[in-house]
Amino acid sequence: MAVSQAALQTASHNITNKSTEGYTRQRVETAATQPMDEGRYRLGTGVEISGITRVNNPWLERQLQREGGQLAFLEGQTQALGRLENALNEQSVKGLNASISEFFGAFRELANNPESALPRTLVREAATTLIQNFKDAKRQFMDVSTDINKSIQSAVGDSTEMAREIADLNSRIHDVEIAEHGPANDERDRRDLLIKKLAEKMDISFAEDPKSGMVNITAGNTAILVAGTSYNKINTYSDEQGNTVIYNELSKGGSAINITDQFRKGSVGGSIAMREGQLGKIIGELDDLAYNIAANVNQVHAEGYDRYNQTGIKFFDLPQDGSFGIEGFKLNSAIQEDVGKIAAASRPGAPGDNTVANVIQELQFRPLMEGGKYSFDDFYNSKVGEIGILSQRATGALESQQNTFDQLKNVRESVSGVSLDEEAAKMIEYQKSYEASARMIKIADEMFDTILNLKR
Amino acid sequence: MRISDKMNQNQFLSNVQKNRTELSSLQNQAATMKRINKPSDDPIGAAKALENRTENKNLEQFDRNILFAKSFLENSEATLSQLTEAVVRAKELAMQGASDTNGGIPRQMISEEISQIYNSVVEMSNRRFGERYIFGGYQTTAPPFTKAGEYRGDNGQIQIQNHKGQFLPMNLNGSQIFLGENLGYEGSVKRQWDVPKTIEELRDYKITEVQKVIDEDVTREDLLELRGPASVGRVQRLTETDPVNGKAGANIFSLMTTLEAALRTNDKISIQNVLEPLDQALNQINLARAEVGGRLNQMNATSDGIQKTIVDNKSQNSLIEDADLFKVMTDLNRSDTALKATLETSNKIMNQSLLDFLR
Repeated sequence: MAVSQAALQTASHNITNKSTEGYTRQRVETAATQPMDEGRYRLGTGVEISGITRVNNPWLERQLQREGGQLAFLEGQTQALGRLENALNEQSVKGLNASISEFFGAFRELANNPESALPRTLVREAATTLIQNFKDAKRQFMDVSTDINKSIQSAVGDSTEMAREIADLNSRIHDVEIAEHGPANDERDRRDLLIKKLAEKMDISFAEDPKSGMVNITAGNTAILVAGTSYNKINTYSDEQGNTVIYNELSKGGSAINITDQFRKGSVGGSIAMREGQLGKIIGELDDLAYNIAANVNQVHAEGYDRYNQTGIKFFDLPQDGSFGIEGFKLNSAIQEDVGKIAAASRPGAPGDNTVANVIQELQFRPLMEGGKYSFDDFYNSKVGEIGILSQRATGALESQQNTFDQLKNVRESVSGVSLDEEAAKMIEYQKSYEASARMIKIADEMFDTILNLKR
Repeated sequence: MRISDKMNQNQFLSNVQKNRTELSSLQNQAATMKRINKPSDDPIGAAKALENRTENKNLEQFDRNILFAKSFLENSEATLSQLTEAVVRAKELAMQGASDTNGGIPRQMISEEISQIYNSVVEMSNRRFGERYIFGGYQTTAPPFTKAGEYRGDNGQIQIQNHKGQFLPMNLNGSQIFLGENLGYEGSVKRQWDVPKTIEELRDYKITEVQKVIDEDVTREDLLELRGPASVGRVQRLTETDPVNGKAGANIFSLMTTLEAALRTNDKISIQNVLEPLDQALNQINLARAEVGGRLNQMNATSDGIQKTIVDNKSQNSLIEDADLFKVMTDLNRSDTALKATLETSNKIMNQSLLDFLR
């Protein structure tokens, strides 16, 4: 009866934990007790619980950990690429591409009417819009970068928290199992779940010590996260560029080494790959594009003469030392204040001369990017296409990874998940055997009564 | 296979999620009527659409340029046609004056009309289009001719872009039309073809332009030296090719003043001498008008081409970007049915339990 009760208890434990994340169904293992020698016979003495075990497949769990890490990696990448794509999306709204065209278009308008102040104002406004659009795009890219850095920080912070809990569980599992109370099922479930979550965040390798049942975890290649019952904290700092880097202290207060490059998987790996890869590249390319437009326009503009017969004026304000960033991209303040300073003529004292304005607008079609391979438009359009292709590919990869992961999860649930029907059937089974055992006692009682009544 | 409850649940959730994603994408397509809503929907198509849109924006600008240049040229043409009338009238008057039956006082009266014509020619030479003087070269903000018929403009050619990398000069220089300077073969108006397109070309261009201005000044000085003290000499020289630049041309202003002076002084020989140069002047103006007509034709042809390309690009973009509404609606219906089926079946399956039967 005690066995039936324990089995019912386990069934109820299974049912109530049906929806607990990472829960593995438990099974009462029963075995016949040591039989009694009764003269010529060996008489069965009943049943005992040999153990309550988890129904799981460790190999499956390990695969889930790996695929989960890959899934998180792709998720991070797809999200970041999606945001980059949005920043460059011009399908329905005006963006950089349109404002580049408008900027050169304004010079065309100026070429039609170099004497008048109106097209000059138009040129100034178009240039201001162009600069603003460059800044907006850069700001959106930087936002993505900031988010990536923040997500690295929080993932690493979470990992410390998880490492602490795993170390804690390690010691509890050790205590339970050393006292021979059987396997610490629920603690192990929880630990497996935490390891899975940790693998989603970063590259980890782990191994269980078969004697103590404790798990040791290494993050990256060298940083020890959990060692038995103790855990280590890995830290994040911001470097000069504002990028988050990961440091590991070899010993408490000892020297710290940069282990950022060791992370290639999980959401942290995905974020780092994105930051060092596409994001860094596109930000650099955007700077390049802005610089090349500005430098080329400046060069031609400086050849021209403005309405005051002055020559050598720069159209955009560029730093002399070549340290160009879109943040510092601005119009020459002289032109900002007086549109008459925009040079359209190729000779002094010729208000109707539009030669320089013509040369400037012609820049739009000239191959001036990447050492004379692409025009500004081509370059920008190809970058939009590139991000589009990457995003498309990442989304596809994510989808198939999600499928793989779901499939694995299904297999795991098939093995370890709780089925209410099964538990209900078991409940009835154990209830019946409980009832039968009770009936046994009743019969034994009646038999005893029969014996007591023999004398009467 | 063992089926656990969570499996059912996961399957159901992922299926519904899939259906909903598809529905939302189709709904977006139906709402925007566009197949491509972000670059990753079709990266190559999106890049091509962007390219087409840029091209159209530029073409529209070129078309605006052409429209502007056309009205400028038409304005020039109208002035030139008036100029022709004026010179024809002057010639008629000169012929009247040259005949002896009109001697005496009538010649004085004719000279009065010639003087009027001279004034109207000065007015024509200073015509404006909008705020700009049309015959002054780059000097568009000040009248190019003085009352005495001296040219204050320059030889600047205002180039208007009518297509990618293609320019057409828009203005005719007053010095060519009214003074007969700098004309091409047999008095035709020269067109300047070399338009700088790069920074290097611009630098070269600036150097050659400066050289040209110096050359012209030298030529003018030579011309001044050649001019004799008598106005008659000037007229005679015009009938021949210019000894310095080898080109023929008639100075309409000096023709008028010479004619007026000859009429006033009853100088029949001089009047007769003016007749041929007047023909030459007419020829000169007609050649200029032919040039204007040629440019207008060219502009019209380019504009037609541009309009066609714009329409082509638009229809191509529509092919690339626009959603096929019929297809979208069909897909939408199908997805909707799929979602309903998923919901319905899961309602059936997930509600089934052994517990329902244990009563």
